[in-house]
Amino acid sequence: MTRDEIKDLILEIIKDIDEDADFNTLQSDLPLRDQLDLDSMDFLDIVMELRKRHKLQIPEEDYPQLASLSSCVNYLEPLLKNI
Amino acid sequence: MHTSLLIIGGGLSGLAAAIRLARFNPDVLILEKHSRVGGLNSWYYRHNSLFETGLHAITNFAPPEDKNAPLNRLFRQLKLRRKDFDFHEQLASEICFTNQETLRFSNDFDLLLHEISSKFPGCTSQFIRLVETIKEHDPFQTTPFRSARSYLTGTLNNPLLVDMLLCPLMYYGSSVENDMDFNQFVIMFRAIFLEGMFRPHGSIKDFLDRLLNHYQNFGGKIRMQAQVAKIIHQGNKVQGVELTDGEVIECDALLSTIGLEETFACLDTPPLRKTQGVRLGFVESIFRLPADCRESLPTDKTIIFYNSREQLLYQRPQSLVDLASGVICFPANFQSLAPQPHFEIRTTHLANYSSWKSLAGDKTAYNTAKSTIARQSKTTVEKIIGNFTQHVVYEDTFTPLTIERFTAKKEGAIYGCPDKIKDGIIGYDNLFLAGTDQGFLGIVGSMLSGVSIVNQHILSRL
Repeated sequence: MTRDEIKDLILEIIKDIDEDADFNTLQSDLPLRDQLDLDSMDFLDIVMELRKRHKLQIPEEDYPQLASLSSCVNYLEPLLKNI
Repeated sequence: MHTSLLIIGGGLSGLAAAIRLARFNPDVLILEKHSRVGGLNSWYYRHNSLFETGLHAITNFAPPEDKNAPLNRLFRQLKLRRKDFDFHEQLASEICFTNQETLRFSNDFDLLLHEISSKFPGCTSQFIRLVETIKEHDPFQTTPFRSARSYLTGTLNNPLLVDMLLCPLMYYGSSVENDMDFNQFVIMFRAIFLEGMFRPHGSIKDFLDRLLNHYQNFGGKIRMQAQVAKIIHQGNKVQGVELTDGEVIECDALLSTIGLEETFACLDTPPLRKTQGVRLGFVESIFRLPADCRESLPTDKTIIFYNSREQLLYQRPQSLVDLASGVICFPANFQSLAPQPHFEIRTTHLANYSSWKSLAGDKTAYNTAKSTIARQSKTTVEKIIGNFTQHVVYEDTFTPLTIERFTAKKEGAIYGCPDKIKDGIIGYDNLFLAGTDQGFLGIVGSMLSGVSIVNQHILSRL
């Protein structure tokens, strides 16, 4: 997957969690949680969806790397390069 | 057969846990002992009509846009669209201490604030500070029991106000006599006073049917009338369960929602800890009346929590039932409900399980006691809401024995054992506890209990 595809994947997953999520003002370097009003339970859903869709096992200690949209892309890029 | 996750109990915590997991892995099986789901909040038919059991109101009301409210977080976790559900908010409710004071409250918190400032003017600033503390406190930390009553007594310095605030919170969610854990108090205060009460459109059956359909659409399975005889385990590792008909079902993880002692009773090795304290039993009555006598009874009140003693006693009574306090619910008094040919009054009082149990061997004595208690409940409640006895077209009463029989809650204690297992860990590698004895109570609470235990302990294993 390209970086843009990964970004779209994350946004699609978030849209699936909260259909009212507003991406218009989303800044890729700031925490998703604060900008989109996501809590830790929603966050777990992002991890679970990645596992369900792409068989990715993300260890709990890596969760902080999913904090912002750009850190998500950085973290997932090597893991999704062959997809 | 084998399943990834096996859940014992198809009540609201079991259903929510099952949906939560089935979203990501449909290999889930619920075993329900009864012939229908819902547990404490279920239904039955009499004279071609549906009667609800348990449900008075659902707490934790929140409008759809309040994303962080427990109700909306729950819906997101279960992938239910909040907008697809039609909810009816309460009109207003009342805490009524006869010959002492009355406090009204609704889903608009300002009403309670206004009532307290006009009736307890000396306590207003302390109450406002208390509300700030409640809003800031994290009630989900696992800390030892801390008495809410002593905290409130110290903060508000007014025993009547303390009793009045505790009354609805204890009646709707305390497994402890005359008190509650401070964390539980915070959860219940938010759920009832800050968020508020509502009921689903239609009946509890419609609500449960939707949850069950949603679960089955994810591919989850359920078996009714499937009673677990024992949990098969080697040391701390659970392999599966054996049903009363001898069938063995293997699983990777087991989630029990049937209560701590009830779960331990299925295990080979004796419990690691014994639960202490009194289990609180209740008697519930339903009185059905024709619509034309609605006007002679309160039409603006949804629930009345009453007490006629000088001090509130929320404890196991010495006799069959304690009528000096209780709850009166009008299920027809919620916003925008369509008129029906009948309406109901429901009453709840504390009861003594052992006293009822001692009558169980003598059917006549038991039935006589039941109708006597129902009559006394009516007479007591009439002093608060006005006369209605002569109009009752159908009535039914559930004792702690009825509740024990249909919900399998030991001693009919709807709020379970007094000491809760907040983290759901009961000493086994792959067996966890959710529901009543995990400690989140009420419909939204028990569903969040199922979800959070799955999130904490199960999702990472699959």
